[in-house]
Parts: sequence; C-alpha cells; structure tokens
Amino acid sequence: MNATFAIAGATFGEAVRKRILMVILLIALLIILISPAFEPFAAGRGARTLIISFGFGVIQLAGTFIAIIMCTGMIPTEIERRTIYTILSKPVQRYQFVLGKFFGAVGTLGFMYLMMGIVFLIASRMALGSFDPAIIRGLLMFFFQSSLLAAVVLFFSTFVSPLVNYFLSGGVFLMGNLLSSFLETIQRNPEVTPLTRIPVQLLTVILPNFANFNVQNPIINPEQVLTDETAYLVQTLAYAVVYIALLLVASMLIFNQREM
Amino acid sequence: MSDIAIKTVNLTKRYSGLWSKQPVDAVKNLNLEVHRGEIFGFLGPNGAGKTTTIKVLLGIIYPTEGEAYVLGQPAGDPKNHYKISYLPENPYFYDYMTGREILTFYAKLFGIGEPERSKRVNELLDRVGLSRAADQPLRTYSKGMQQRIGLAQCLINDPELLILDEPTAGLDPIAHIDIRDMILDLRNQGKTLFISSHQLSDVERVCDRVAILNRGVMVQLGRIEELLAGGHVEVIADKVPDNAVEPIRQLGGKVSLHDGRLIVEQPDNGSVDRVIDIVRAAGGHIISVKPYRRTLEDLFVETIQGGKTA
Ligand SMILES: Nc1ncnc2c1ncn2[C@@H]1O[C@H](COP(=O)(O)OP(=O)(O)OP(=O)(O)O)[C@@H](O)[C@H]1O
Ligand SMILES: [Mg+2]
Repeated sequence: MNATFAIAGATFGEAVRKRILMVILLIALLIILISPAFEPFAAGRGARTLIISFGFGVIQLAGTFIAIIMCTGMIPTEIERRTIYTILSKPVQRYQFVLGKFFGAVGTLGFMYLMMGIVFLIASRMALGSFDPAIIRGLLMFFFQSSLLAAVVLFFSTFVSPLVNYFLSGGVFLMGNLLSSFLETIQRNPEVTPLTRIPVQLLTVILPNFANFNVQNPIINPEQVLTDETAYLVQTLAYAVVYIALLLVASMLIFNQREM
Repeated sequence: MSDIAIKTVNLTKRYSGLWSKQPVDAVKNLNLEVHRGEIFGFLGPNGAGKTTTIKVLLGIIYPTEGEAYVLGQPAGDPKNHYKISYLPENPYFYDYMTGREILTFYAKLFGIGEPERSKRVNELLDRVGLSRAADQPLRTYSKGMQQRIGLAQCLINDPELLILDEPTAGLDPIAHIDIRDMILDLRNQGKTLFISSHQLSDVERVCDRVAILNRGVMVQLGRIEELLAGGHVEVIADKVPDNAVEPIRQLGGKVSLHDGRLIVEQPDNGSVDRVIDIVRAAGGHIISVKPYRRTLEDLFVETIQGGKTA
C-alpha cells in the first residue's frame, strides 16, 4: 500500500505542475468568480438558476478537460520517458502502479474540485445571499463523474496512444451523456425496430452512464421532483464506484500483460 | 542459499513487428549463469540484446521462450525486488522532483519509513557527491548528476544484486573513476554486479567474468584473464652471451640476438621469469620487460568481426 500511495503522491505532484491543467483551472475559477455579474440579466428565481447552472456548466467542463488531458498521457508518458523502469524494478506490483496512478488522478481532481467548489460557493453566496446545499451535492456528483471519466481514460491508456485515447474517451463521454435519453426517445417511438433498439440498449448498459451525474436538470427544473435526493445521490455515487472498480480491474489485467 | 545470482535457460525474446517488419530475435537461446559476489560484464555491439535481456530479468518484458531466474526466483517477481536494483541506460526520473525528493520517493516504494528514510537519503546523497545539489530539481541536473542520482537510487535498498545498464555512459573521466571506485567498493561488500557497458577498458579493469553477445547470441563467455590470455611479454637485455640463446629459445618464445642485445617475445604463460633468470645467470643485463597484453577491445573486435554467431 505504501508503494501505491507513493506513486499516487508523485502523480499528484506532477499533475499540479502541469501548466495546461493549471491554466484550465484558473480560467474556470475566473469565470465562476465573475458569474454573479450575470445576475441582472435574469430576475428572481431566474437569477439563481442562471448562476448555479452556469457555474456547474463551467465546473463540469473544466473537470472533463482536466480528467482527459491529465490521464491520456499518464501511463504512456511513463513508458516513453522510461521512468517506469526504475519503478517496476522496485518491489512494486503492476496493479499497485495502476492504482497509484488512478488515486493520483482522483487526488488531483479532488484538489481542483475543492478549489472550484470554494470559489463557486463564495460567488453564489455573494450573488444570491444564501447558501444552497444543492451546490455541495452537485459538486460531489460532478467530481464522481470526472473520476469515472478518469478511470475510462486510464483504462484506454493501458493499450492505446494518447491521441487515439482523446477520441475514444471523448466519444465514450459523449455517448455516456446522451445514450440514455436517446434510448428513451427510441423506446417511446413504436416505429423503431428491435434491430435498432437492441444495439442502443446494449451500448447504454455497457458504456458508463454519465448522464446520471448531470444534476443540473433537477435544479434548473425544480418542477421535476426527485422523490429522494439523498437516495439518488448515494445510488449514483455507488454506480460510479462499482464502474470505476471494474475499469481498474480491467486496466490492471491489460497492464499486467504489457511489455515496455 | 544457491550461489547463482542470475540464471537464464534457453532464453529467447522475439519482438514481433506487428505491422511492419519481420519478427526479430533480440535474444536467442541464451544460457547465462552469474555467480553471487562476482562482477559480470555483459558486452556486445549496439542492438546485441543486452538491454532486452536485462528487461526480462526485471520483469519489464516477458520471455518468448525459456526461463530466467534472479536470486533463485523466477524473474520479475516484485517481492524479489527488495534485494535487487536496476540502473537503466540513460535513466530519466520525475524531473520536477529534487534529488532528495526522488530518493525519498524510491525509498517509499521499498516501504522504508522514517527516520531511517531521511538518514539513508542523506547518506546516499553524500556518497554520490550530490549533497549540495540535493534540493535542486532534477531538471537542472547535468547528465553526470542524473547518472549519480541513478546510482544512488540503486543503493537505497542495500541490494544484493545490482543490474547496471551502461552506468558510465556519457560521463567525464573523473566521474568515470568515481563510479568505477564505487563499483569496486560494492564488490568488496560482497554484492553481485551485472553490468552492461561499452566502456571496455572499465569492464576489463573491474569485471571478473564477461559474456559477449552478438545479434542476440552469446559468442564469448569466460574469466577476463582466460579470455585475454595469449598476450606476450617483450624482454630486452644487453650483454647477453651467445650461449644463452639456446636455452631461452627452448622456452618457446621468439628470440633474436645481435651484438649482445637480446630481444625476446615471450608468451605470457609464466615462462618470462625463466627467461630473466637465464639472462642474468649468463651475465646479461635486463633493460626492459614490457607486457603486450591483449585487451578486451582486441577480443571484442575479433569476436564481433570474426562473425562468430554460434
Ligand atoms: N520494443 C522493441 N520492439 C521491437 N524491437 C526491439 C524492441 N526493443 C529492442 N528491439 C530490438 O531488439 C534488438 C536488441 O536491442 P537491445 O536494446 O536489447 O540492444 P542492446 O544490446 O541493449 O544495444 P545498445 O548497446 O545499443 O544499448 C535490437 O535489434 C532492437 O532493434
Ligand atoms: Mg542497451
């Protein structure tokens, strides 16, 4: 376990020194900070909705970019720079290396979300005069969404090049966001044959469902009531944890076979 | 405990060119035994398969055929790595870390806790002469400094077996000597060293045994003295009487005497002492005794250019 955390620590240290990630974070922080300035454009409840959904949008976008950019190179770079040789020649199991990389990525995401969350809370408090617990819930959801995405990217990075990975994981993220509502539409349409429906159903089940985490909708449309928000949160986060665990196991199995 | 530190049995590593080329046997049917406590030189021209073999020994890549054992265990078992260490060729480390941080990182991989960890890190920084640069990021290190950090990284676990891939590549002569001394020091401590190198004069000086690999095949193996036997010693003497020539000639050397001046090219097999004895007993006067040893470089060039591949 020591080794895993040492690798996670090194991964975190390297990620927070990556200029591109810091630039994304800073831009996101800046936008969130000035978002209350949009208040005059909407009145009453509209202002609250606008500021909150805008903030979440920025945070989600930043989290997505950070997860993908950070993780595509995580394993390939170690191999290319040959830093991995000295690590694997120490008493480090290959699964510990993968796990350490993932924890390092999640730690970095946690740090980024913490920064963005604090600024978001301050900005929304200033604009709205009140503190909204939905923000915490939303941050948690998006943090887990980014972590799941990080696991997807890390999984691909055990066998494809960073460039291919951008497209693959970007595609999976988009599909995972859109498929479930697409499937709903299809299912409501009697004209769609099973020949079309079944593959879509299959994909929806297999690919990670990123749409679950998009909490904006219930906030933007409070009419659409969730019967039990806490249960939904727990269920969604549990889904993320299970899916991440599966991805990590698959990554370890592939990485175990890998030659460097 | 077995006295074999490294053993390979019919080890073959084939790189199959997926799209492009034909498969290459980077290492072919290699049978190697490295004894505990020896310094073993692993030589061969570029692309001979040295690094490939080393990577198999460390479990970074897997054998296509055959087996490899390190300290009695199948190669690549991370539990075994507590007792071994590895310096890759052209090592590269996380360059945002300082020298101290990177050594601390590796110590953590071994599960070495405080306060032992800081103590060892400081000792090692001192030992490789990097105490002053310890808190500078590695990206500001010169090549020689990187190599020293690489060596320090190798010593953090006080290993029984060190596998060094070109440890002196790109170093200045002083650094060379430093590292050579360090290697001899390790040998005195009873460590086993497996060294791949192109610095044949270094290898000749420090190694007990060498293997030469060419295109994946082992073409030479033996103790340095034995492999380099066949040199000669030139003895020059003056005031040597004619009657001394015959007994000297019987010792098997090439002898020429003119006007009392004797030149003998004597095989380096212990008979040189006899030559000198005879000259002096006959009233001659030794002027010089000069060994003309074969060097490892001679052997290397002969072996590789002789095209020996089996
Ligand atoms: N990952 C790889 N894929 C395909 N071929 C490889 C790979 N790594 C090495 N080779 C080939 O295997 C052969 C042996 O390479 P290796 O690196 O073991 O040589 P070496 O003896 O260490 O050489 P050098 O002295 O230049 O370091 C070479 O022909 C090389 O092209
Ligand atoms: Mg090499």
